[in-house]
Amino acid sequence: MTKTGMIEFRGVNKWFGTLNVLRDITLSVEPREVVVVCGPSGSGKSTLIRCINGLETIRDGDLTVDGQRLGDPATNMTRLRTEIGFVFQSFNLYPHKTALENVTLAPIHVRKIPRAEAEEAGRELLAKVGLADKVNAYPAQLSGGQQQRVAIARCLGMRPKIMLFDEPTSALDPEMISEVLDVMVAVAEEGMTMMVVTHEMGFARKVAQRVVFMDAGAIVESGTPDEFFSNPKTDRSRAFLSKILRH
Amino acid sequence: MLENFSFRTIVEYLPLFGQGLVTTVWLSVLSFAGALAVGIVLAAMNLQRGRLFRVPAKAYIDAVRATPLLAQLYFLYFGLPRLGLILPEFVVGILALSLNSGAYVAEIIRAGILSIPRGQVEAGVASGMTYVQRMRLVILPQAFKVTIPPLLGQAIVLVKDSALLSLISVAELTRAGQLLASDRFMPAEGFITIAAFYLLLYYGLKGLAALSGRWLGLAGART
Repeated sequence: MTKTGMIEFRGVNKWFGTLNVLRDITLSVEPREVVVVCGPSGSGKSTLIRCINGLETIRDGDLTVDGQRLGDPATNMTRLRTEIGFVFQSFNLYPHKTALENVTLAPIHVRKIPRAEAEEAGRELLAKVGLADKVNAYPAQLSGGQQQRVAIARCLGMRPKIMLFDEPTSALDPEMISEVLDVMVAVAEEGMTMMVVTHEMGFARKVAQRVVFMDAGAIVESGTPDEFFSNPKTDRSRAFLSKILRH
Repeated sequence: MLENFSFRTIVEYLPLFGQGLVTTVWLSVLSFAGALAVGIVLAAMNLQRGRLFRVPAKAYIDAVRATPLLAQLYFLYFGLPRLGLILPEFVVGILALSLNSGAYVAEIIRAGILSIPRGQVEAGVASGMTYVQRMRLVILPQAFKVTIPPLLGQAIVLVKDSALLSLISVAELTRAGQLLASDRFMPAEGFITIAAFYLLLYYGLKGLAALSGRWLGLAGART
């Protein structure tokens, strides 16, 4: 792999107690690349992307993000996180803030962007995710799909270099999934570097350059969406695909 | 029976009760402010990961909750002068109520902060906020809302506890009742009147709670 990767895992291991949740992960994500991570529940997919912005720490191996090595005393983790957007399965919007305030909070206080400028950008972003009319709504007044779109706008407000998505549509009712995926496709098409933990295979086929299949903490298989879906190489990936594609 | 009950004496003593009421109110306000300050510091210490701050905070909270307020008050009022620190009785009173109530307030605030879902902390972390920014912008505003009802409960307890200050001759509301009881030997009149005033204070605080609840209710419902 090249040294220019935006995200570089080299021999990364992680344990929760005695459980080896990440086993010898080596993976490089190029700038503007979209990588979909899939695999059975408990395979370590979420842990993998949570390591990238330091929500989890790694035991050994090297993890370099945007040229900065995690765990290195010279790496300012707080600053690095401003370059990485993270979309949670459960949205995690701030319930005491309106949609617009959710989007502008970090730009104003972390990026130190003047309020008026941040609000203008925030309105544009909310319009972009189709929520121009929900600017002043509180999260509790929004549907799941709308909340997740606000959450994506909240990340975009920081103008990140990387966006990580941790099962962004898993907590949504089926009819709301596509509205969120459409926004993610638009973000991908603008050239964002993305890692997406999801089982939405339509999304993977449409925008992913690569699908990474994990099982029991290890990367078992990796390839283009076409290769992976039409011609899975391992028994485990075949078994997994047969389960999620059956319906 | 009621022919022995002297409403006239109550009216005669109203100015005294009025003064007592005013004293109780400002003692309580100052003590509750002190309790909040003590409680915030203790809660912050108690939430640290390191034992250096956590252990003393826990020890203090346990010590206060395990001993009677009256014993604490007597320690400060009779004990401290023996150790060379002489303070006016109302200062001792406010100190005792602040230090005592502060331990309970600390637990209320800690519970409020811990009630905020982990995802809120993570959202703040992921957007590059520092610990202080997360606390100020994300956690505390939400925790504050959850703690309003128990804090007002604690304020009501504090107002009633302030009656103990009559024992160190602070001229508050209960003391006024005692004076009527001993001057004219009218304990029924004296104590029923102060009970009425405490009830008044209680409804005042309840009204305040309802008001703050409505005011906070406007700032977005929790999911």
